[in-house]
Amino acid sequence: MNNHDQFLDDVAVYALGALSTSQASIVRAHMRDCKTCRDEYAALSDATLLVAQSAATAPSDLVKRRIMREVRGDHAHRPVMVWPAYLVAAASIVIAVISTASNLSFEGRAHVATAELAQVEHNTAALRAELSAQRRMLADVVGADAHHYIAQQGEVITNSSHVYLALNNLAPVPKGKTYQAWTQKRGSKSMTPSILFTPDRQGRAVVQLPTADASAIIAVAVSVEPAGGSKAPTSAPVFLVATE
Amino acid sequence: MIDANQLMARVRARDARSFEALYDAFSRLVHGVALRMLGNAATAEDVTQSVFMKVWSSPDLYRGGSFSSWIVRVTRNRCLDVIRQNSRNIDTELPEDMPELESLEEQLAIRIDADRARQAMTSLPIDQRTPIELGFFDGLTHEQIAERLGVPLGTVKTRIRAGLQKLRASLDGVAR
Repeated sequence: MNNHDQFLDDVAVYALGALSTSQASIVRAHMRDCKTCRDEYAALSDATLLVAQSAATAPSDLVKRRIMREVRGDHAHRPVMVWPAYLVAAASIVIAVISTASNLSFEGRAHVATAELAQVEHNTAALRAELSAQRRMLADVVGADAHHYIAQQGEVITNSSHVYLALNNLAPVPKGKTYQAWTQKRGSKSMTPSILFTPDRQGRAVVQLPTADASAIIAVAVSVEPAGGSKAPTSAPVFLVATE
Repeated sequence: MIDANQLMARVRARDARSFEALYDAFSRLVHGVALRMLGNAATAEDVTQSVFMKVWSSPDLYRGGSFSSWIVRVTRNRCLDVIRQNSRNIDTELPEDMPELESLEEQLAIRIDADRARQAMTSLPIDQRTPIELGFFDGLTHEQIAERLGVPLGTVKTRIRAGLQKLRASLDGVAR
């Protein structure tokens, strides 16, 4: 493989968005003078779009309603023409006469009610989404393809695409500390940092570990780490479970 | 037929109907990327809202070319912001003002449905699909991917390129 082939590999990683900022700027500079790499970038950008498209799912209808309400409100308040100054002054006087205190008060209440309604809709959407996520999680956990691995404080549950922790009796963490999950992939000798979580007052926590390929995970562990998490475990694991 | 460039020209003139048409055409793409990256439905919907409000409030940030690629980049960067707030080390943003190079027509992105895209992804060998998903959806750099998968850096790059080339080839039947 010659130097330019290696550059083409970098262009692919750049199109995916997986180059660091400094390396990305080197590739961008090179592409300015290299048509081959520009063409490769254009082709592989389309492929990256396909990667994105593979995840496409519709948001709830409430999202559109929230957005369009803001857009139409904004649209309605934008001036469509500029009035001459004398007309503005005359209109101001007319408006001042017409706008009684009760009108203004009503308008104020209407604003408050609109804001409260928006908040309620927002909260409802969030609850609905949360409920939907919990339903999915429940279906995964009790699904026929779920594998349950007993840990001292609960279970690690895996299926072909997800990994969950369902834990109880976790001790409260000291101030400035947090629980952190770790995963080990097949072929790797080290643990990879995963999600941070805090159990509820009863020491319970049910969390989904973000992972691209659940079937590649061969072990899951949890340890207590400094708030913000660690790149490598700094304390003995609370538990370590092999998942294959 | 959706012409995103034309719709964006009307959005710049504050045409709410054109904005709504853009939302209808691209909200699944934006929301899907956000949901896959963040794994949380409520946060994904918040990101979807913030991305489209950005389109409405700052349409000049889009400078032509592939609107799909641009809005995916904006979405991905917002998601990386959210992940960064959760203290993970992220250094893979793509600039949103980057001009788009010659690419497939906008229609293509709209014509490809999610099922077809998923089919193309699942047809990739796992050793190519995994680094692509880790790079795109998890926001990892190729060095981090190499470390996570326990394979040499050059191998990760080659697998990403080979995988993307296969995906690109799978588009040819749609494009032509």
